[in-house]
Amino acid sequence: MRGLLGELATGSNGETVTLTDMEASIEHMSRATIRHVDAMLMVTEPYFRSLETVGRMAPLAKELGIEHVWAVANKVRSERDEEIIRSYCGEHGIEVGGVVPWDEAIQEADREGRALMDYEPAAPAVGSIELIADLLEGQTMGNGRGGRA
Amino acid sequence: MKLAIAGKGGSGKTTISATLARLLARRGSHVMAVDGDPNPNLSVALGMSREQRESLMRVPKDIMEIKEEGDTRRLVMTRPVEDVTSEYAVEGPDGVSLMVMTGVDHAGAG
Repeated sequence: MRGLLGELATGSNGETVTLTDMEASIEHMSRATIRHVDAMLMVTEPYFRSLETVGRMAPLAKELGIEHVWAVANKVRSERDEEIIRSYCGEHGIEVGGVVPWDEAIQEADREGRALMDYEPAAPAVGSIELIADLLEGQTMGNGRGGRA
Repeated sequence: MKLAIAGKGGSGKTTISATLARLLARRGSHVMAVDGDPNPNLSVALGMSREQRESLMRVPKDIMEIKEEGDTRRLVMTRPVEDVTSEYAVEGPDGVSLMVMTGVDHAGAG
């Protein structure tokens, strides 16, 4: 890609991470924009319509050649919630890259207009996002935590 | 690493994006966060101050143009990327830089 996102992560020393919070769905996006992303996280809540969005996005992301495509379960309140997401993803051949619990600290931080990291760095949700960072570093950064499979 | 975070509106993708950006920065990566949501609020989720947020300008669409080559279309930069980041990126907590790019993703749609 010769667009901005493509240029951003090149030509720099050390590890540069470009992290794009995208519009709701990738279906309306230009292929030129998304094509050279290394990894995509598709955030989903444990209910069918949210999962269906991920179910539509995953094949498109793979078709565009994105090497790592993961669903991230969010707002998980129970084992049942997690099971719903894992079973949907299993049936659709989508890897689950993380499970973020329902966390009241997120609502509180939002109410105050603060970052979760500043409001409650020890929140359970932060801990689960740490695990996603581990996964990304291991799979895409080649820093000795596992490297490319 | 180029990372994209997608999901239905209200799924919590902005909180996850912001938290991940801060964590990766604390681990030593240079993180450039890009807000591509039509209703951008990543700056708040990253914990930027009011001053930092007020200094953010949206990256204009014309920094990129579509080039047609036969039946393929490519997005190309019309300005050097260093110019664009120095003009539009604002650094926030943990050294995470942010650019707001709303609208650009529709550039080559279809």
